[in-house]
Amino acid sequence: MVVLAIGLILVGIFFLVVAAIGTIRLPDVFSRSHAVSLTDSLGAICVLAGLALYQGFGINMLKILVVLVLLMLLNPVIAHATVRAAYRAGLKPQTEEDQ
Amino acid sequence: MKSSFPKQFVANTLALFCGWLVLSGKYDNFHLVLGFTASCGVAWLNTGFPHSPFQQFPWGRMVLYCPWLFLRIVESSLHLTKLILNPSLPIKPRLITYRSQLKHRGAIVVLGNSVTLTPGTITVEINGNTFLVHAIDESAGNDFTTGRMERKLAWVFQEDTNL
Amino acid sequence: MIDFFLFLLITLSFLILVYLYRVIQGPTVFDRVLGLAGISTKAIILGVVMGTVYDRVEMFVDISTGYALLNLVGAFAIAKFLEQRGTP
Repeated sequence: MVVLAIGLILVGIFFLVVAAIGTIRLPDVFSRSHAVSLTDSLGAICVLAGLALYQGFGINMLKILVVLVLLMLLNPVIAHATVRAAYRAGLKPQTEEDQ
Repeated sequence: MKSSFPKQFVANTLALFCGWLVLSGKYDNFHLVLGFTASCGVAWLNTGFPHSPFQQFPWGRMVLYCPWLFLRIVESSLHLTKLILNPSLPIKPRLITYRSQLKHRGAIVVLGNSVTLTPGTITVEINGNTFLVHAIDESAGNDFTTGRMERKLAWVFQEDTNL
Repeated sequence: MIDFFLFLLITLSFLILVYLYRVIQGPTVFDRVLGLAGISTKAIILGVVMGTVYDRVEMFVDISTGYALLNLVGAFAIAKFLEQRGTP
């Protein structure tokens, strides 16, 4: 159980690091939002699931799962709100032809 | 559309009370009664709004939809990881306009949320049932333009679409 | 085991620094908002890890839940304000 938890946490850290690299490398707001929110959400899910497994079955596991579900529901909403604000404020995404 | 008030009230109260049980962690009589009273009050204040999309929400089939979505998330996460770690950064960002045929408002919300949750695509705007989607790559947007996700949701909400 | 969680905490703090670079450097204001959203996700995970280290998960999870909800409201407020102001 503990070994599985540590494995899940390590996978999650890998995805979080990839998300951070993507934040630095990608060119504009729209493509950065993919990296920030999306690989991030999988990384957060993996880390939190590993912590929940480490706790063992019980009330603490359920509480961590509540945070996990909340994060999974709220992360895309925040990303969508930011990107929609950027689009409505007049920012145009970089497309293939510009490069 | 007019579903019975008492049935909804009981369902809301039970859902809220389950949330209380998970988050509180104290199971003596005083706290249980307090929690039950509070959830009754909140449910009474919040039941009976007309046109709520939760009235005919298919929770059962929704639970079956979640594992499929999770597999999609893992698959496209690996794809996006490969794109980011590639030294030449081979991304081809583009905007896709897509007209969905789903009618239920809950279905449209779930479709937009799933598109944003799947790495590589993000919903920029929804107008009625016209979606504006930003995709980072050709293959990232494929899932959406071929209507795979929409067919799945049409099955979840039991709608007839000629897809 | 405590060493592993310490490693996790240090990694998360380092990742917060990377996002902070985006917040300070960001060409447009939306980059800064996105960076803040990333930082709050890290802070939520940080809270749960702290709870595991101190053996008080039930308390720290409540803090994390509150932080997640506040993060949502704050992001909405900033996005709405910037949307109506118009210029990037």
